[in-house]
Amino acid sequence: MTAGPVTNSPAGDIAPVASAIELVNAARWYGNVVAVNDITFSLGPGITGLLGPNGAGKTTLLHMLAGFLAPSAGTVRVLGRSPHRDPSVYRQIGLVPERESVYAFLTGFEYVRFNARLQGMRDADAASRAAIERVGLQDAADRAIGTYSKGMRQRAKVAGALVHDPQVLLLDEPFNGMDPRQRLAMMDLLGEMAAAGRTILFSSHILEEVERIGTEILVMVAGRLAASGDFRAIRALMTDRPHTITIRSSDDRKLAVTLMSDPAVFAVTLKDDELSVQTAHLSAFRRIIATASRSAKIRLTEVSPADESLESVFDYLVHR
Amino acid sequence: MIHGSPRNPIWALPEIFRITVRQLLGRRRTVLLLLLAGLPLLLALVFRLFDRIDVQRYSNLVFDGLLVAIVLPLTAVLFGTGAFGAELDEGTALYLLAKPLPRWAVVLAKAVAAATLTLLLTVGSILAGALVEVIPAGEQGWRATEAYVGATVVGGLCYVAVFVAVSMFTRRALVIGIGYTLIWEGLLSSLLPGIANLSIRQYALGAGDWFVQLGREPARLPPETAVTLSAIVVVAALVLATWRLMRFELSGGDD
Repeated sequence: MTAGPVTNSPAGDIAPVASAIELVNAARWYGNVVAVNDITFSLGPGITGLLGPNGAGKTTLLHMLAGFLAPSAGTVRVLGRSPHRDPSVYRQIGLVPERESVYAFLTGFEYVRFNARLQGMRDADAASRAAIERVGLQDAADRAIGTYSKGMRQRAKVAGALVHDPQVLLLDEPFNGMDPRQRLAMMDLLGEMAAAGRTILFSSHILEEVERIGTEILVMVAGRLAASGDFRAIRALMTDRPHTITIRSSDDRKLAVTLMSDPAVFAVTLKDDELSVQTAHLSAFRRIIATASRSAKIRLTEVSPADESLESVFDYLVHR
Repeated sequence: MIHGSPRNPIWALPEIFRITVRQLLGRRRTVLLLLLAGLPLLLALVFRLFDRIDVQRYSNLVFDGLLVAIVLPLTAVLFGTGAFGAELDEGTALYLLAKPLPRWAVVLAKAVAAATLTLLLTVGSILAGALVEVIPAGEQGWRATEAYVGATVVGGLCYVAVFVAVSMFTRRALVIGIGYTLIWEGLLSSLLPGIANLSIRQYALGAGDWFVQLGREPARLPPETAVTLSAIVVVAALVLATWRLMRFELSGGDD
């Protein structure tokens, strides 16, 4: 994963660096338990989903990036600096922790303003109103957070994290408790921030969320980084797992016979009105199907990969 | 969405102070402290109703026996350990610490908030009783009241600083604070006079003697020693708390 220049530093105290987030052989262990094991990656502006089953080390990784855990080995850098024991780096980091706890006695507006003031913002009121509006919490801004639903609390936490317009936003399960409409709105907001050059890393266990919000992923399994990058590109690299392609045509049966003769095709299944083909080489298969249909005078109405979803990639990485 | 260039973090101290005060006042145990703080006034009223004014009796029974021995340490321990302890227990500390603030500023704002509440409650408590039973005695009463306030302020600041620091190291700070008050100061310091150098209660009583000797005998520590030791303890405790906060780490969570 990569790396573009980081620009538009609001506080002006962080020099532009090649990667907003960079881990090199980073590890974290607690006694004999290894929570994060020898992870290396870098992220530039954009949005990246952090995936992994429970216990994979996602929260530990986010806590390391947020400066709340020192790496036991390796280096962790955010905007070119180690975030551990360097509070000044928080001018450029927004953090939404997974824990639900908030100052229940504060109103939503007071909570966001508290964050703005602690960031040293001069016009904390205006910044807070803008942040509240961005997460769509205007109607409840003057209510105590203790009366909020889980989804509203999440939005208040996000507003508090982005009130100072940070360069890097770290979110641990940010969509928890939100209803579908709120999720979509939050995804749009994060998408806008990413498009504006912010580096956003969010963990989620809901694959649909990650798939909808972007294609860049980091997959952690048992403390290790199992994969990183565009999940479609990752899928293409899984050559030990055949690709499944669904085909609809003017003559499925005839096409099935033709395809079976090609060594690149592992299996063909003819069911109802569709043909399912398994192949190890997707690009080669595209040529094969074009040639086969042309020579057999079969009209293709649909050729689509059946297992290129994020879920398929994730399932493969976790269970291999 | 940038609203002005960032200011010096010192501007955030009042915000942390306000939040901490609201946090501490919102806890149920604060009601218990208010009831406890009403006891000196209640006793002063009882003395005044049924007997003549007696400054020495108020100093011994109410100030030394109740306020310095129970009300002051309990109030300071509850507010001191609650200032940070509650945030660490509930997980809200993260919102405070993920900010570009020097850790000393966070500790100072928290300690000042806890000390303010402690002193408001305890100084208010002893003054209310003194208004009824001590100040009407004239010059002697005024001097004694000054000594009560001086001792309470010195003792309160010390207890708060120490227990803010203790709460940074253990989640059992409240139990430790109550144990220290009851066992160390209540029991051991009366059996082992040498412990006075390590007793906040003795610092408070010694500081009171700066104004006037409250007991029949002088306090175990001379005023200068008591105030000097108090200042050292307060500074050392705040430095220790800051050191600890700079090394604050979260657990990794379960995923």
